[in-house]
Amino acid sequence: MSSQEGPCTFTFDGRSITARPGQTIAGALHQDGVHVVSRSFKYHRPRGLFCATGRCPNCLCTVDGYPNVRTCVTPASQGMAVRSQNAWPGLKWDVLSIFDRLHRFMPVGFYYRVMHKPRFLWPVFEAIVRRIAGLGRVDRQSGGSRRYDRQTLHSDVVVIGGGWAGMHAAIAASRGGRDVTLVDDRENLGGHVLFDPGARVDRETEFESTVQAVLDDPRIRVLHRATAFGCYEDRLVAVQTGDRMIRLRAGQVVVATGGWEQPLVFPGNDRPGVMLAGGVQKMLWQDGCLFPGDAVVVTDNQNGYRVAHSLAACGTRVVAIVDHNATPAGDPGDLPVWTGQTIHSVRGHRHVTSAVIGPLEGASSATESISCRWVVQAVGFTTASGLLAQAGCRLVYDESRDLFRADQLADGFRAAGSVNGTFDIDACAREGRLAGEVAAAGEGGGTVDLIPAETSPPVRRPPDGKKAFVCLCEDVTDKDLFDAVAEGFANIETLKRYSTVCMGPCQGKMCQSSSIAACARANGVTISETGRTTARPPEQPVPLGVLAGRAPHRHLIRRSALHDWHVEAGAVFLDSGAWKRPESYGDPAAEYQVVREGVGLIDVSTLGKLELRGRDVAEFLEFVYPNRFAKLKVGRVRYGVVCDEAGIILDDGTIARLEEDRWFLTTTTGNADGVDSWFRWWLATRPGWDIRLTNVSGATAAMNLAGPRSRQVLAAVCDGDLSTEAVPYLAASQLTVAGVPATVLRIGFVGELGYEIHVPSQLAEHVWCELMAAGAASGIRPFGIEAQRRLRLDKQHLLAGQDTDALSNPFDAGLPWIVKLDKPDFVGRSALQRAEGREPGQQLVGFRLEGDRVPPEPSLVLVDGRLEGRVTSARYSPVAGATVGLAWVPAELASNGQQITIQLDGQLVNAVVQREPFYDPEGARLKS
Amino acid sequence: MTDRMWRDHDMQDAYDVVIIGGGVHGLATAYYLARQGVTNVAVLEARYVGFGGSGRNTAIIRSNYRTPEGIAFYDHSTKLYEKLAGELDYNIMFSQRGHLTLAHTERGVSGLRERVLTNQLCGVNSRLIFPDEIREHVPEMQLEGSLRYPVMAALYHPPGGIIRHDAVVWAYARGADAGGAHVHQLTEVTDLEVTDGSISGVMTNRGRIKTGTVVNATAGYASTIAAMAGQQIPLETHPLQAMVTESLKPWLHSVIVSSTLHVYVSQTDRGELVIGAEVDDYASYSLRGTLPFVESAATHLLELFPFLADVKMLRQWSGLCDMTPDYSPIIGEDPVVNGLFMTVGWGTYGFKGGPASGQLLAEMIASGRTPERLEPFSPGRFAEDRLVGEKAAASVSH
Repeated sequence: MSSQEGPCTFTFDGRSITARPGQTIAGALHQDGVHVVSRSFKYHRPRGLFCATGRCPNCLCTVDGYPNVRTCVTPASQGMAVRSQNAWPGLKWDVLSIFDRLHRFMPVGFYYRVMHKPRFLWPVFEAIVRRIAGLGRVDRQSGGSRRYDRQTLHSDVVVIGGGWAGMHAAIAASRGGRDVTLVDDRENLGGHVLFDPGARVDRETEFESTVQAVLDDPRIRVLHRATAFGCYEDRLVAVQTGDRMIRLRAGQVVVATGGWEQPLVFPGNDRPGVMLAGGVQKMLWQDGCLFPGDAVVVTDNQNGYRVAHSLAACGTRVVAIVDHNATPAGDPGDLPVWTGQTIHSVRGHRHVTSAVIGPLEGASSATESISCRWVVQAVGFTTASGLLAQAGCRLVYDESRDLFRADQLADGFRAAGSVNGTFDIDACAREGRLAGEVAAAGEGGGTVDLIPAETSPPVRRPPDGKKAFVCLCEDVTDKDLFDAVAEGFANIETLKRYSTVCMGPCQGKMCQSSSIAACARANGVTISETGRTTARPPEQPVPLGVLAGRAPHRHLIRRSALHDWHVEAGAVFLDSGAWKRPESYGDPAAEYQVVREGVGLIDVSTLGKLELRGRDVAEFLEFVYPNRFAKLKVGRVRYGVVCDEAGIILDDGTIARLEEDRWFLTTTTGNADGVDSWFRWWLATRPGWDIRLTNVSGATAAMNLAGPRSRQVLAAVCDGDLSTEAVPYLAASQLTVAGVPATVLRIGFVGELGYEIHVPSQLAEHVWCELMAAGAASGIRPFGIEAQRRLRLDKQHLLAGQDTDALSNPFDAGLPWIVKLDKPDFVGRSALQRAEGREPGQQLVGFRLEGDRVPPEPSLVLVDGRLEGRVTSARYSPVAGATVGLAWVPAELASNGQQITIQLDGQLVNAVVQREPFYDPEGARLKS
Repeated sequence: MTDRMWRDHDMQDAYDVVIIGGGVHGLATAYYLARQGVTNVAVLEARYVGFGGSGRNTAIIRSNYRTPEGIAFYDHSTKLYEKLAGELDYNIMFSQRGHLTLAHTERGVSGLRERVLTNQLCGVNSRLIFPDEIREHVPEMQLEGSLRYPVMAALYHPPGGIIRHDAVVWAYARGADAGGAHVHQLTEVTDLEVTDGSISGVMTNRGRIKTGTVVNATAGYASTIAAMAGQQIPLETHPLQAMVTESLKPWLHSVIVSSTLHVYVSQTDRGELVIGAEVDDYASYSLRGTLPFVESAATHLLELFPFLADVKMLRQWSGLCDMTPDYSPIIGEDPVVNGLFMTVGWGTYGFKGGPASGQLLAEMIASGRTPERLEPFSPGRFAEDRLVGEKAAASVSH
């Protein structure tokens, strides 16, 4: 940055360039005589520095692989590799500058009228278009290596813009007792006055003491080199500073963003050497650059005189101050002034060679050509009001100032200084102080008291001739806009979309005013009637990395309390939602077998777990589940599905009553958060309910001990009586397992005698290891999800979300018994009532497919070649001796023994519907 | 100098058909009505043509849906789009460079497999491809490494691609205008007049229009228009946001979609990257972009393309989506109010269906019969529980 000691050297298109300390890349290029920096977007015209303040597209280069860098505000540093963009083979001779000669054949929107007939032509042309379109080239190998970061700050008052108005606002707000954050995008406070010595005459002391007062104020936090790019809902100000984003939440916001200097529209106004006064001042006084040779200054206000004097002081020969006014607007000293005149055009190709000057109004015959290298424009500003518009402030056209300004402010907002169209430096200070006081009082918003303008609206000469550019980013000329309006694109918004004016890198900062004026002229209406296009964030382009911050991704990785044990046991993991779960421990077939014949242990900690306490829980459960719970006895557990209002299955799980008013619910892994928020949503509908819902998913771990020998394994680490009489099927017991208090649910998703054991997470590994040790003699093995899927499929137990979809209701999913329509109202009741009375749709059924070919999940079920259903689950089942699965089939095929046709590897195979489980249909093993 | 795209007309006292909404659906309906010989038609647009979803969508066209009904409908629409540039003599820049929907989980792969099989059954070109082949299409994309969920497979849909959405709107407006329809911009409907159960007039900020047939083609505002006739449609309006980067030399030629990462991206012929996501999960009519959206979309995009970290966002915006319970549109005549037609519920997939809905709805209005392809999408299907479940294929699958 600027703090470096000596000069540095960098390359531009391979050529070595030396920069002085603190100089920007563009400044160093200018000093070295490089005046063509880029080629334009459409016509590939040579372009040089224009605004030199980081707004316009002309200085965009690729720097060290980063495309579209604004080199006029980027400090040079040692060894940088700077490359020009959009030019081939090089900046000097660009083959595609042929488009500039062919522009006659490329009028506005020409591409909509060519290249599409016959049809096969477009892909051919498009391939060519895609080779030549675009600006910078992104480095796809090594880009993205910077580190980005994000920060969140809060402040009573945020002042955006550290110019004269902003500094006074910050001081006033601080005096009002508020913490203030002042966001300024430059190295030093002061705004454009910094680079305008003429504006500081007689005020040098006041200027410096104001800057110092801000810097010394302990209540004011100044963010230098920080760009506020967005004003979002509830006064969330988004700020970029370097590689960091600051989310700045403000109590009140003062917008003091000043103005953007506006160019004139005349033929050749894009030629290198034509510049804006603010940029010239900045180049002179910050970058220490010179403008050797002759210059013409075009102006209608004092700024022009000040820049003329600045230039003259730095050795430029100012050959003419061309003043729109009949009498000089400033003191020319001994510089020549041409009053009542303006610039009509410039000549020159790679650089300006002369300017054509003529009358401001009337016939253009009486023109005179002045030889010069520089044409400097100082014809006023438009308001940098984008942030105000984003915030929801109303902008209206102020005819006397010829600009759009806010007349109705969004809640908590104030505007001060040039952003209001106020350019007098004392008035800016007054507005700033007032805004700071109002913000300190927390009273931002409301109507702006219009300060009557003392000026008459400026006069502009409509351009005569071609290639008078309104939009430098997109090479849109004044004539293009007239043509587009004539074609019917008369609305300013359609005009923008058709001509692409304002859609380039500057996003209208250079061209919005001129394009609105052209649109108004072309339509023969006023600027007020024309209106303006919507201002959208960001105010300045912001790197995606800055928005993303440091995080490589935004997804949680959740690991169960037993994760380390699984890793050591050689588990193969899969992603199940946010969770890492063991798919198997290497041999799912053996894991399956051991559960069927001996005993296995699976980690089911990922289940959602909710505890509900309170008198009204039973009533609540009756309301959010279609089945009944009021009469569920303490110490019992029941299966349930959750349906939405349309009767669609959202999730399934178990509901246990541990005490009269204490319930314990499980949900599936994937829907844990969804069910939690679903329940909270319904709880909120009746605040009177005496219910406390606690999500204990993370606090509680769970494991399922399953298989014919599970009872004896559990008995070895558990003191209680585990007999079927004491702990029957569907019991919910409070036991001590391996010394740990546990909730034990006797349920059997896998179809065997089994115990789902819930313990505090921090003790999970202890309990798990004790069970594994106790089961060693019985040949216990851990089993993973794959074995569990096979086991449950033998029982035709569905997986919500896999076997059901966004249209599945319990009737069709084979769970009609779970819907109790004789209950009073419950979620989904009316939809389910209709569903019951309706002709049944596709049904979820089990099927058996002889052999060991397994259809992938999902596969299609066809009837006469038509899609009539789908296989949602399928596995080879050792106990069935065939492939088994679940499938949605037409109602008429949904009974035992019906044949269905499944598409498998492009062939059709037949399977047989079987509605009862493939294994232990009576459930004897479950209940044993 | 070329001709005017569409003309300004004085408002007539009466039209045979009044179409509310000057987006792709309204204008396409007007265009195809003219082709059917119905020419005394007005299109009323409160702002300017293409103000709503038609100017805010991310211009992706595809037909790789989930249900046979959905696939047939969008396939028809895609085929109309393929011929549209020639038919309307306007280069709408339909660029069928392929569409890739990524799956990062087993469940995701299953969802894609189902769509692929159903697409193939319906004659739509879709294939399930795996990382080696995905790399051939987009060599720059990260498929594993820093990705939380590695890419396991993709649904490759060669006919999918992007289109110049504004050009489609303008071309339909020109076609409708040439066919005799009046396109009235800055004309806002303030009320609908229903007499004896039938539409009898439309109130606007420019006065009353007498008509017996109204088409509601107002997307995010559709339920408010229906309410003017005392009707409720099962719609919820949600914002959908998108952003665009500065222009870069084109390098990404396919459309990339990832529902796991809630992000999709394509690169226009101008070189901008267009980045979008799922609808905001709250209902709202706000057209104001949010910071969380760009933070999230940027983060997710950088998972797939880390080298884009230095590329700058140029603009973000928001549109309104009229979401239906089954993520399929509602097209047809209101079951209660005679003469009130609707093409609504277009959610996040409206631009894809514009030509088909316009053509078929025009046929329905002109002939009085419901074309077969429209039957599944009738307004009555909710009462009859005949939903067309496209959620898996419509959400974050632009």
